[in-house]
Amino acid sequence: MREADEQYFETLETELESAMDVAQRARQRGGDPKPEVEIPTARDMADRVENILGIDGVAERVRELEGQMSREEAALELVDDFVEGTVGDYDTREGKVEGAVRTAVALLTEGVVAAPIEGIDRVELLENDDGTEFINVYYAGPIRSAGGTAQALSVLVADYARALLGIDQYKAREEEIGRYAEEIDLYDKDTGLQYSPKEKETKFIAEHMPIMLDGEATGDEEVSGYRDLERVDSNSARGGMCLVLAEGIALKAPKIQRYTRNLDEVDWPWLQDLIDGTIGKDGEADSKDDGDQSDDASEDADGDDGGDEDSAEQAGPPRVDPAKKYLRDLIAGRPVFSHPSKSGGFRLRYGRARNHGFATAGVHPATMHLVDDFLATGTQIKTERPGKAAGVVPVDTIEGPTVRLANGDVRRIDDAEEALEVRNGVEKILDLGEYLVNYGEFVENNHPLAPASYTVEWWEQDFAAAGADVQAMRDSPTVDLADPSAEEALEWASEYDAPLHPKYTYLWHDVTVDQMGALADAIDEGQVAQTDGARETRPPDASRNGERGASGASRRGSDPRAADGDLVLPRTDDAQAALERLLVEHVQDEDRLVVPDWLPLVRTLGFDRSLEREWTIEDLSDRAKTYGEQEAADAIGYVDDELGDEAGRNAVLAVNEVSPFEIRERAPTRIGNRMGRPEKSERRDLSPAVHTLFPIGEAGGAQRSVADATKHADSMSETPGRVDVEVARRRCPDCGTETHEARCPECDAVAETVYVCPDCEMEVEPDESGRAECGRCETLASPTQYTELDVREIYRDALQSVGERETAFDTLKAVKGLTSEEKLPEPMEKGILRAKHDVSAFKDGTVRYDMTDLPVTAVRPAELDVDPDRLRHLGYETDIHGDPLTHADQLVELKVQDIVLSDGAAEHMLQTAAFVDDLLEQYYGLEPYYEFDDREELVGELVFGMAPHTSAATVGRVVGFTSAAVGYAHPYFHAAKRRNCFHPETKVWYEDEADDWHYGTIEELVESRLDDPETDDFGTLVEELDGDLAVPSLGDDGPCRRPVEAVSRHRAPDHLVRIEVGDRTLRVTPDHTMLRAGESGVKEVRASEIERGDALPAYDGGETTMTGAGATVPVADGAGVPTDAVTAVEYVESDVEFVYCLTVADTHRVAVEGTYVGQCDGDEDCVMLLMDGLLNFSKSYLPNKRGGQMDAPLVMSSRIDPSEIDDEAHNMDIMDRYPREFYEATRELADPAEVEDIMTIAEETLGTDREYTDFRHTHDTTDLAAGPDLSAYKTLGSMEEKMDAQLSLSRKLRAVVESDVAERIIEYHFLPDLIGNLRAFSRQEVRCLDCGESFRRMPLTGDCRECGGRVNLTVHEGSVTKYIDTAIRVADEFGARDYTKQRLKILETKIESVFENDHNKQSGIADFM
Amino acid sequence: MPLSTPARIVSELASRGYNAEREAVTKLADAPDPERALDRAVETMPDDALKLTAGHVEAVLDRAESRADATAGSQRAAEQENGETATRDPSVSTGTDSGVSPDAGGDVPHETKGSRDVDLSKRAIEVANDMTGNSTGTGEYSDFVSVFRDRYEKLASKLRGRVNHRPTDAIENMAGGSEAALIGMVSDIRSTASGHWLVELEDTNGTFPCLVMKDRPIADLVQQLLLDEVIAVDGTLADDSGILFVDSLHFPDVPRTHSPSTADRHVQAALISDVHVGSQEFMADAWHRFTDWLHTAEAEHVEYLLIAGDMVEGVGIYPDQDEELDIIDIYEQYEQFSEYLKEVPGDMEIRMIPGNHDAVRLAEPQPGFDEELRDIMTAHDATVHSNPALVTVEGVTVLMYHGVSLDEVIAELPDEEASYDDPHKAMYQLLKKRHVAPQYGGHTRLAPEDRDYLVIEEVPDVFHTGHVHKLGWGKYHNVLALNSGCWQAQTDFQKSVNIDPDAGFAPILDLDTLDMTVRKFA
Repeated sequence: MREADEQYFETLETELESAMDVAQRARQRGGDPKPEVEIPTARDMADRVENILGIDGVAERVRELEGQMSREEAALELVDDFVEGTVGDYDTREGKVEGAVRTAVALLTEGVVAAPIEGIDRVELLENDDGTEFINVYYAGPIRSAGGTAQALSVLVADYARALLGIDQYKAREEEIGRYAEEIDLYDKDTGLQYSPKEKETKFIAEHMPIMLDGEATGDEEVSGYRDLERVDSNSARGGMCLVLAEGIALKAPKIQRYTRNLDEVDWPWLQDLIDGTIGKDGEADSKDDGDQSDDASEDADGDDGGDEDSAEQAGPPRVDPAKKYLRDLIAGRPVFSHPSKSGGFRLRYGRARNHGFATAGVHPATMHLVDDFLATGTQIKTERPGKAAGVVPVDTIEGPTVRLANGDVRRIDDAEEALEVRNGVEKILDLGEYLVNYGEFVENNHPLAPASYTVEWWEQDFAAAGADVQAMRDSPTVDLADPSAEEALEWASEYDAPLHPKYTYLWHDVTVDQMGALADAIDEGQVAQTDGARETRPPDASRNGERGASGASRRGSDPRAADGDLVLPRTDDAQAALERLLVEHVQDEDRLVVPDWLPLVRTLGFDRSLEREWTIEDLSDRAKTYGEQEAADAIGYVDDELGDEAGRNAVLAVNEVSPFEIRERAPTRIGNRMGRPEKSERRDLSPAVHTLFPIGEAGGAQRSVADATKHADSMSETPGRVDVEVARRRCPDCGTETHEARCPECDAVAETVYVCPDCEMEVEPDESGRAECGRCETLASPTQYTELDVREIYRDALQSVGERETAFDTLKAVKGLTSEEKLPEPMEKGILRAKHDVSAFKDGTVRYDMTDLPVTAVRPAELDVDPDRLRHLGYETDIHGDPLTHADQLVELKVQDIVLSDGAAEHMLQTAAFVDDLLEQYYGLEPYYEFDDREELVGELVFGMAPHTSAATVGRVVGFTSAAVGYAHPYFHAAKRRNCFHPETKVWYEDEADDWHYGTIEELVESRLDDPETDDFGTLVEELDGDLAVPSLGDDGPCRRPVEAVSRHRAPDHLVRIEVGDRTLRVTPDHTMLRAGESGVKEVRASEIERGDALPAYDGGETTMTGAGATVPVADGAGVPTDAVTAVEYVESDVEFVYCLTVADTHRVAVEGTYVGQCDGDEDCVMLLMDGLLNFSKSYLPNKRGGQMDAPLVMSSRIDPSEIDDEAHNMDIMDRYPREFYEATRELADPAEVEDIMTIAEETLGTDREYTDFRHTHDTTDLAAGPDLSAYKTLGSMEEKMDAQLSLSRKLRAVVESDVAERIIEYHFLPDLIGNLRAFSRQEVRCLDCGESFRRMPLTGDCRECGGRVNLTVHEGSVTKYIDTAIRVADEFGARDYTKQRLKILETKIESVFENDHNKQSGIADFM
Repeated sequence: MPLSTPARIVSELASRGYNAEREAVTKLADAPDPERALDRAVETMPDDALKLTAGHVEAVLDRAESRADATAGSQRAAEQENGETATRDPSVSTGTDSGVSPDAGGDVPHETKGSRDVDLSKRAIEVANDMTGNSTGTGEYSDFVSVFRDRYEKLASKLRGRVNHRPTDAIENMAGGSEAALIGMVSDIRSTASGHWLVELEDTNGTFPCLVMKDRPIADLVQQLLLDEVIAVDGTLADDSGILFVDSLHFPDVPRTHSPSTADRHVQAALISDVHVGSQEFMADAWHRFTDWLHTAEAEHVEYLLIAGDMVEGVGIYPDQDEELDIIDIYEQYEQFSEYLKEVPGDMEIRMIPGNHDAVRLAEPQPGFDEELRDIMTAHDATVHSNPALVTVEGVTVLMYHGVSLDEVIAELPDEEASYDDPHKAMYQLLKKRHVAPQYGGHTRLAPEDRDYLVIEEVPDVFHTGHVHKLGWGKYHNVLALNSGCWQAQTDFQKSVNIDPDAGFAPILDLDTLDMTVRKFA
């Protein structure tokens, strides 16, 4: 570590320590549950392995071996230990084998999955037919989570142990071999295998396997032959065994072989045959990637060099195949920016801007404005490649969009201001501009490199390679390599025989040969405007003309529109289309096209300066004429009319044949994308927001107002302000005073919890583990009591104690009841001060703010709104070039734990700081800590950053502010993720990859897809999916279907919340986001906040279910969803090891067990002010013991160790320039790993001195927050408004096929809604308007069975017919397919048929409504 | 007898041993004096011709200088009128089909096999419970209430004879420990902590909890209960009169004594279902074999064809269905279906009901086709009744119901009572409950009408369903329950859930004996 880094961390830690001191002193004084700051610690991998296995001595041995060998080798090494008995306490031989096998699996899975415990049921010794003994390993389904390698190695380990113990090999019987084959085939059909071995292969393996693979039955399907075998218990498929044999042995044979070679005792010679594929294998096992590689495009990198005829057999240019997956499940209101790989869409440019890292995409701010502000910094987009989604970051050093204005001008807009000026006049967005993606993103997604745009950074290297002294030119004040004049560019191209400069390289690959010919013909007839602009003649002399051409750009716009020296062409459709597709800036009127700065264009087309040419279209080679056939139709099956025939759709070869210099493909890769989620920056409030974690029961009304509670009385005879609540039962150890508070009210000593048996009312002493069980009744003693609290007095005392009056705040809101185990109330004083400063408490007592995460590695003081001096104080002494930091516009490298707050976050932090100061002063009686006057003082302060659902906080330091609604921080600052989850038996509906619907447990769903999961330090496994798996979900405007982006498995907390809804139960982690229906719609709340009687939105059946529907509540915009009432809520002891979760695209909600619930949030971090966290956080407030401990800062890391963070960040490239070889490799669609050697990614600096520095970037950007502050998605009102904006944008974009957008909206949004609601109507529940009771069916009496009140429907005609007109309008206006129109039409008649009286017909649905 | 309708003309022609093209019949009907025109036409027919062609009739009419106006409109009007006559007044022994096999020289070769010698005059068909064109519900709460009340009343009347019903509010006031009986709609079924069954029954006054002890033999019957069916119980009231301990439980059921009616002559009907034209899996070859067979002598007595829904595959039935459609346009699907129907001998009487794939509302009862669809289905008059409908063929009542509720019955009831392999057993349950889709709020959807068309008021002789694509039949209390298979091969979806459909079967029912034979054409 460098000195500077050490210093930096020391600064942080010193600061942290001094804050800790203050907090410690404070905590000793106040009424907090513990008199000290509460922080626990973490453990290492060896520990985890030992703990999961429960075998003593493993951890020690693992640590010993860890340094010396790989984990696989260590696993084999441990076999010796087990056999010798030095590790583990096993007497039997089978026990030793079992211990060894389990340990091996645990080791290979880092002790984070259940496979070693649940995946291996037992090991047995059985007898062969010849009387010898053999080993039988009995696998179970959960072995899946171990992954193929560990599965395969478990067999090897078993065999090795077998050999060491001198047990014979397994000799399979004939029928057993047949059984294996049949069973694996059955399992593959039934459940699906990643790799399906051929029957021959399976038999081969079964014959040679030295141990027997067995397992428990996992499916209902039974084999038809080979039944009732003596040595096989079941006739059903044994899932665990099938996995081990197919995905383990068969698929990972080469890996096993590597280890068998090192072992003398074990010899599996037959593996070679398996590897060689000599036994009926296709050899297709590994080639399962997307097939992005087009067959013949790989060697085409120089195929278009000057049009050499040597490669005539190559059909087309190198291209990646269009992918349309990102378009799936398009939502109304979230626009498509570009269809897959379509010309006019974003142009892929390689590079990393400073605000770029992983899962980000650089877009020009002008583009953000021109797409009607739908894109803002931090807006998530779904993208065609390389990943699935990316956060948008503004980068203004790339090219902006090209537009055609209503007056015919075609201009490239490279400036956000200009974009805003012309926005209203834009008729067509011809091109969205460049799209910056860094190399690391391709590495992270393991996506083959896509052909690079020809950009300045590449050209410069070509130019240097051609012999130019680029360095000298760069240093020369008269030369701008990035922006040369036409003359310069032409001169360089001819003098050095280098490719033409990208500035004048037009998008020849986007025009057809015919269009190019038409343009050349137009130039033949073209003239150059004369001095007075009135007459146009042929140029008298070439050199003069060239000068004019070069300077023409500045003079356009006057009328007549051709300025002096501009090239005036007769207007033809083809010529115009060519210019527009080439992105040549020009103006046009009725019959002329006027091109300024035209010289490079005509020279490229083989004309000389006097507009003469010596070629005709017939002279072109056949290959050039037919080049580009493969681009015929794009991924959505749309054929671009403009391009006509399939052949000759790419004029780049043709132009190279006529051009005197080389023309490169300017933008061969276009990237399609659409909007995903909008950015987020908002305070985190509980729902409803609370100020104090103090229980007031129902007395506070719906508002939970403490003031109301002080006046509340159930009856006239009662004293107001007395409420019965369940609170802690404690006693002062010193004076014996009984209390419900943390501290003794008399002597201020910390009181102790008193456990009382609920049955015999005896006090019980808790044992060492903290468990208090009544010795007599054997029931668990309770630490709480029901007591009457005088809220009025407590409130008055609290006000007095902090010296505040009631007028200092609006309403003080408390909670109804406490969810923590001991139910210790928070001192109300804290709540009073929170209310005063308008901040609210999270369930753990902290104040939080959520922000979308974006990475940044270098910042300017100016854009952060801080003074450079201030930053110098924070250790930013030099800028990235090593110059002293003096100016606000110098660029400095961001330190790893420094973060940039959004304006909203800063504001909120200031409020929090004021609260903390008051708290210290007025409550704890200490000096204020922060004393901020303006927000600049926040700079340098420490905060806690937390990723959602983690239990660890990272200390961060504020360095500045941004107007974007995001939190910028160093990529390394982002911690591992852990999510809230469902109980494994939770049932969900899902549509699998084969589009079949299933209703199964979430465990099956997730486990069967954890093929190659990523793990984090908490034992979470996450597997990203391709989005082929869909679940029913609930969007802003009602039920919908959404793809699942990732599945994950997490260690279960000690407790789960069990929620009963009707006859269904739901078990989730206490923090899980649930949806609660209220009057104003559906709100997200934590599961721990759900109460009996709450209405939860019910899944009314979607496409396939049979569950009932209930009362309807609006989601938003009048869209409705039925609800079910919660009949019971309770905390239950978790009986499982893991819980499961899905990441659902866009809506982040999923229907489980007939109820819509939330899933977790994605990339939003939250920040807390350090002192707030230290002072106010207590585990005692967390729901039930360690139950609700996710999302709570249980651990705090004060410094980031780059080696321990998520790999994602390691794949970020840290270069300031990509080498020429890289660009060339992209044209070969190389695998990102192939260019690893010439690229530098962060991984390479891990563990070195430079691990915290040298994060170079290739592109700068002026402002981190350029572009709109908020996405239009957030500023537009209703869904219909958003959708209209979306559709009108789709008309403007050349890269978007509007009919497809309309089609998708109808298909994925309107139709499911219409169909769903119509279905819901005909099986709805009804509800009493008076008492709210709902009934599954209409009562025969017609009136409410409970109160006799009026009963009415919950799904009305209005919610069924809501979208039909809009849908039909959109279908007509935007040209949806006939199929879709017919579906709508039939649906309309179906709706009519239900709601219309045949004897009293309305003429149309419109009259009817 | 005046020959004013095509039907009469056909019947007259048949009686003289002639067959005729549809158009020929129309032209005759439209002639100023059909009787004379017919006489003349028959007289002038060539000796070797078996079929009266349109051209021939035209020649005859021309000669009589009475050119008929044979526009499509009047043709349809005539046909329709004819159909209605038959429906309204079936006792008149007339044929109902205006069309005889389309054309002797037609393009479909097998049709040249000529006509069948059938006596149309003996045919009789009558349809009840058809709500097509009479859907009066407008989706109001009160509509729903009337439907359920109607269901209760109709089914309760079947049970009144068996128990002495006391209204729920009256029972509440009865003395504890007294005997009581109740007819109610099942509104809830729960098992208690101790494993007994708590069945909440509802009548028009309120609800009352009834407890079925787990050790009583009738506990098994609780397993067969579906929500919203109507049953009767009798038993003893608890001491506080708060609950009824059930001693016996009754279903409306079909009387064991039911004796089915039969036809007076030897005549047969083909009962098929789930044709799914338009699907890539539609088995055209099997269909051709079936229709070919209908032209053979073996099938000469098959005079009726009943189709229990899912004539076409439909559009938008499930996501991305268009990728599996052979014909993407729904109207073309019906046109094609109509074409396939033309292969059926022209004299056959065809009756259909819609299914869940057809282009009508999915909520039951489903009305028959609207005008637009009827216009497309020109062949054989395409009479489509509502689902369900009660069709009486020469005295044999056939309850036609598509069968969406079977899914639910099979899912809810124990395997031995109902399974996909024995779909008829699920049908027994419906007969027992005297309702084709009792359970509300689940899989089957309900459209409220002025009454409950789904109640099985009259005991049918044959209960005919489809939907589950499985073939199964059996007798329940002398009622023949038949689930006909389908004409669609296994779909990818079915493959994935391992449903092996029974495709290409045509059950043939002897209407005089109610014996059934199943013919396989796949």
